[in-house]
Amino acid sequence: MKKNRALILCFVLPCVFSLLIMFLYPTIRTFVMSFFKIEGITDDVSTWSFYGVENYAKIFGSSTYRKSMLNMGSIWLFGGVLTLSVSLLFAVILTSGIRFKKFFRAAIYLPNVISAVAMATMWIQYIYNQDYGMLNTILKKLGLEGVRWLGADMKFWAMLVAFVFGAVGYYMLIFISGIERIPQDLYEAATIDGANKIQQFSQITLPLLRGIIKTNITFWSVHTITFFLWSKMFSPVDTEATTIVPVVYLYDTAFGGKATITRDAGAGAAVGVTLAVIVLAVYFIVNKVVKDDDLEF
Amino acid sequence: MISKKNKKAKYKAKINWKKELSLLPGYVIVLAWIFFTAVFLIWILGASLSTSREIFSGEVFKFATGFHPENYVNAWESQNVAKFFGNSLLYSVVSCVAVVIISAPAAYALSRYSFLGNKVIKSGLIIAMSIPSIMIIMPIFALATEWQIKGRILLILLYIFLNVPFTTTYLLNFFATLSKTYEEAAAIDGCSPGKTFWVIMLPLVQPAIITVTIFNFLSVWNEFFIALIFANTSDMTPVGVGLLQIVNSMKYTGNYGALFAAVVIVFLPTFLLYIFLSEKIIAGVTGGGIKG
Repeated sequence: MKKNRALILCFVLPCVFSLLIMFLYPTIRTFVMSFFKIEGITDDVSTWSFYGVENYAKIFGSSTYRKSMLNMGSIWLFGGVLTLSVSLLFAVILTSGIRFKKFFRAAIYLPNVISAVAMATMWIQYIYNQDYGMLNTILKKLGLEGVRWLGADMKFWAMLVAFVFGAVGYYMLIFISGIERIPQDLYEAATIDGANKIQQFSQITLPLLRGIIKTNITFWSVHTITFFLWSKMFSPVDTEATTIVPVVYLYDTAFGGKATITRDAGAGAAVGVTLAVIVLAVYFIVNKVVKDDDLEF
Repeated sequence: MISKKNKKAKYKAKINWKKELSLLPGYVIVLAWIFFTAVFLIWILGASLSTSREIFSGEVFKFATGFHPENYVNAWESQNVAKFFGNSLLYSVVSCVAVVIISAPAAYALSRYSFLGNKVIKSGLIIAMSIPSIMIIMPIFALATEWQIKGRILLILLYIFLNVPFTTTYLLNFFATLSKTYEEAAAIDGCSPGKTFWVIMLPLVQPAIITVTIFNFLSVWNEFFIALIFANTSDMTPVGVGLLQIVNSMKYTGNYGALFAAVVIVFLPTFLLYIFLSEKIIAGVTGGGIKG
C-alpha cells in the first residue's frame, strides 16, 4: 500500500499542478484583481490599490462596454434561434431515412474542424467581397445592385451569418445523437395511429429532445459569451462599435488596443468576472427552467 | 432500422419512389447547403492558383494565364507561412504528446485508486473545463513575465496545461471500463503497479488516446485567443495569428493569390485529417458532448 501511495502521488501530481497553476490560481487572482485599481497586467501586487466596486462601475458606465454587451445579446438571441433551428432541421432530415447520411453529416460538420481564422478570411475576402464576392456576383447576375456587406450597417449581420454557418454542424451532431436515442417503435405506433410527420415531430421528437435542447442552449450561451475570434476577424485593426463583444473589450482594455489610451487591468478583470458570472447564471437558470422529467425510454 | 427498410425498398420501385419523394425537400435543403460549402472551398482553391487581377475581374476559373502555383511558393516563403506552419506543428505535436503523458497516469490513478482528494480533483477537472479562458488569461500573463518564461516554450506549456482537464476526464471514463483482472494477473506475475500501467493498461486505452489526441491536435492547431496574446514575436506566431497578420498586410502587398494560397495551407492539415478520420471525430463529438 505504501508503494501505491508513492505511485498515486507521482501519477496525479502533474495533473493537480496544472489545475492549480492554470485554473485555480488565475481564477482567484482575476477575481481579486477586479476589486483593485491596477493599470498594467504585470504590475506588482504592491502597486495595487483597493478600489471597491469602482471597476464594475467604470465598465458598466462605459458606452462601449454596454454596446458590446448588447451585441453579445443579439448574437445570443438571433444567432441562437438561427443556429439551433437550422441544426435541428438538419438533424431531423438526416435521421429521416435519407441516403448518404454519413456523407451529409460529415460535410455539414466540416467547418468545425477548419481553422476559424481561415473560415473567416474566406467569408470576408470571398463571399462578402464587394468587387468579386460570391453574393454580389449573384446579385449582379440577377440585375441587382451589389451590396456593401462589410459596411457599418451590414457588418454585424454578415459576421453573424458567417459564424452561424460554421456552428450549425456541431449542434446538429448533438441533436442527431439525441434523436437517435428515441426508440423507433414510438414513431411506428404514431404512424399506425395516423399521425403525420409534422405531428410526430411536435408530439414525439420535440418533447423527448428537451434534455438535448437544454444542453445545446447551455453550449450556445457559453459559445456566445466567449465570442472573440469572429469579432476580431471582422474588424481586425481597429475595434468597431458594430462588431465589438465583451471579450474584445476586455482584450482592448487589459492588453491595449488602438482605441484605448490607458490600460486598465482592473477593469479588464471586472469584465472577466462579469462574464464568468453570466456563464454560472446560465448553467443555473437552464437547469432550473428547463426541467428534465427523467423520461425513461 | 430505417436505412435497412430503405435498402429493401430499393428493389420495390413503387414504395421506394413514394418514400424518396416524401424525403425530397430534405434532400434539396441538405444538398443546397453542401453545394454552397463546395463552391466556397473550390473557389478558394481556384483563387489560390490565380493572379490578383483575375480574382478581381471575377475570372477565377478561366485560368487565362495558366495556373499560378508560385502563389504557394510566395505565401510559404515571403509571407512567412513556413514559419507559422512550423510553429503550429511544433505546438500541436509537442503538447499533444506531453498532455497524454501527464493525463493518462492521472486518469488511471483517479479511476483505479480511492484516496483523499480523489473526488475533489475529479470535480476540479470538470469545473476547469467550464472556466472561460478570459478568466485566467491575465494572471497567467503576469506569471509568465514574472518567471521569465517566453518564446515558443511558453505557448507549448500553456497548450499542455489547457488541455489537461479535458484529456484526463476523457481518459478517466475509459480506464473505468477496464476489468481489474488485468492488474491482478500482472501482480501475481510479479509486475510492479507502475510497470503494469505503462506496459499493460496504457496500450488497452489506445483507441481513446487516439481520439483525444485528434481533438487536442485540432484545438491547438486552430487556437487563436491565447496565441494572439502570448505570441508577441513573429518567431513564435502560429498559423491562426499569422494568417490574421497576412490579411492585415494585404492592404500594402495586394497579392490576393498568395493570400488565398496561405488560407489553403492553413486549413489543409485539419481538412485532410478530417477526410480520413471524420467518422472517429464525429463519434467523439457526440460521445463527449452529451455528458455536458
